[in-house]
Amino acid sequence: MTLPVRAVIVAIVVALLAAVPSIAPAIIVQFGISALIMVTLAQSWNIIGGYTGYTAFGNSVFYGLGGYGTAVAMVQFHLPFAAGLALGAALAVVFALLLGLPVLRLRGQYFAIATLGLVGVMTAIVSNLDIAGSNSGLVLPLLKGDTLFYELALALALLTTLTVAWIARSRFGFGLIAIRENEEAAEVMGIDTTLHKVLAFMLSAVFSALAGGIHAYWITYIDPAGAFDVTLNVKMIIMVVFGGPGTVLGPVVGAVLLSAISEILAVNVTSFAGMFFGLVVVIAIVFMPRGLTDVMRRFREVGWRCFQENVRTYRV
Amino acid sequence: MQLLWQILVNGVLLGGLYALMALGLALVWGVLRIVNLAHGAFIMLGAYVCYYLFAGLGLDPFAALPVAMLVMFTFGYLVQRGVLNLVVRAPMFDTLLITFGIDVLLTYFAQLAFTADFRAINPSYAGDNFELLGATVPLVRVAAFGVALLLTFGLWLLLMRTRVGRAIRAAAQNLVAARLYGVEPRNLYAVTFGLGTALAGAAGSLYGVVSQVSPYIGSSLTGKSFAIAIIGGLDNPLYVIVGGMVLGIVEALTALYIGPTYTDVASFGILVLVLIVRPKGLLGRTA
Repeated sequence: MTLPVRAVIVAIVVALLAAVPSIAPAIIVQFGISALIMVTLAQSWNIIGGYTGYTAFGNSVFYGLGGYGTAVAMVQFHLPFAAGLALGAALAVVFALLLGLPVLRLRGQYFAIATLGLVGVMTAIVSNLDIAGSNSGLVLPLLKGDTLFYELALALALLTTLTVAWIARSRFGFGLIAIRENEEAAEVMGIDTTLHKVLAFMLSAVFSALAGGIHAYWITYIDPAGAFDVTLNVKMIIMVVFGGPGTVLGPVVGAVLLSAISEILAVNVTSFAGMFFGLVVVIAIVFMPRGLTDVMRRFREVGWRCFQENVRTYRV
Repeated sequence: MQLLWQILVNGVLLGGLYALMALGLALVWGVLRIVNLAHGAFIMLGAYVCYYLFAGLGLDPFAALPVAMLVMFTFGYLVQRGVLNLVVRAPMFDTLLITFGIDVLLTYFAQLAFTADFRAINPSYAGDNFELLGATVPLVRVAAFGVALLLTFGLWLLLMRTRVGRAIRAAAQNLVAARLYGVEPRNLYAVTFGLGTALAGAAGSLYGVVSQVSPYIGSSLTGKSFAIAIIGGLDNPLYVIVGGMVLGIVEALTALYIGPTYTDVASFGILVLVLIVRPKGLLGRTA
């Protein structure tokens, strides 16, 4: 497909999606908002985890900072929503810059554990801040009408996906991929690895923070346990890994699919929904560690045996 | 000065228990290369096993502790044999995700099975204490400290002096060579993981005696265990004791000078700081 054709298709899809609130029932619109927020989060994780190859477990910190920036600005300083979003995004970007510099020097499991530790630190700090409502959290002003939130979430998901599409074909993006494949070699080829990694971390931060701000205002409530939830971060990873890490559309597919599954589970088996998520993660890692696209491709070639082969690869 | 002495005593006693918590994590991390995010959840389960033996059967918690260890060993053995052995050679990232999945499963299971209420194991002697150079020392904390040290030393003996221990150390160093010498990894890995969860079960039982248990204590305990394992390194159980004491004292000082709600800031902060400054661990070597 040539570029203009693709642009037309994208424009039609976006126009259809944007029209959803005026034709679909409220429940679909609400599902749309949470799914689009998950798309944004998955794409943000894709930048640092999928393209750069740094398995961050701390992206929920950005999401939480975005939510808290918005909440504190609106509740404590009576600023408009836009100012709150800007504050949240600024907080997250500064955090990504200051902590990204030392933490991005770590590799593999140490990076993962350090970012996990950052989630713990931030949860504990925010639980002690009076301005953020300490342990009990903050209640934001109520804004009726899901349409605005839907269109905002759609715009953000689109912006994030377009940014990822730009990364996929830009010099900057090739730099990130080079770092993922072999960091020493990338360094030798003259790529400023620190700059690339920190920029990718900051990009990841800004979109996650905006998603957090929209979510906080939408549900009009924020507390430390929910805002910095590690489970949310694992959801981002699972969505990207299942859709296809380091691709433009994979995380979108993964996020929409997983959101739909958890929505159906939440409606049908309320009290077991949390356990089901754990079970899904365990089963998925055992039977399809390389994601959905890999399984679909190999399923066509070898059928059910592909699951058997997947299990054989890593067992003792 | 008097207060500081009391705080130090509290910190050291708590540190022994912390060391026991981290011991199982360090063993599994060092030998199986599995970064076990469900470790805190295993500690939580162990605490509940001990609680029900105490509250249901009226068993003394220190008599219930070996039973809890045995139950948790069996459970850990089955988890490794049935699930984790299937992914043990996968990239570290996969094992992180799968143990997180197990953590979620266990936490929700505990919430359904045991309710979200706080439970404490308080035998008749729970309130007894004695004086040590002016500091008040609760009896159960000393007992918990003693048991923790005993188990740590026991693990060291097991690793250094027994056939199984030698096989575990061999597998940690070089699995291919160990296999050539007749080590059967499926069983050995399950035994190692079982030892790790048995230690978690012991730590949980003691935790239930000195503190309170709920289904949600897991993630915070996993964080503390990581901090200790990173300070102490993975190659010697005795270093883990030092790591536990460091964390215990730092937390006690934080509670005194900054505020009791800041202890998590301290433990997670130490974890991040040590990783940034010395990713290979402070005392020993990590994986």
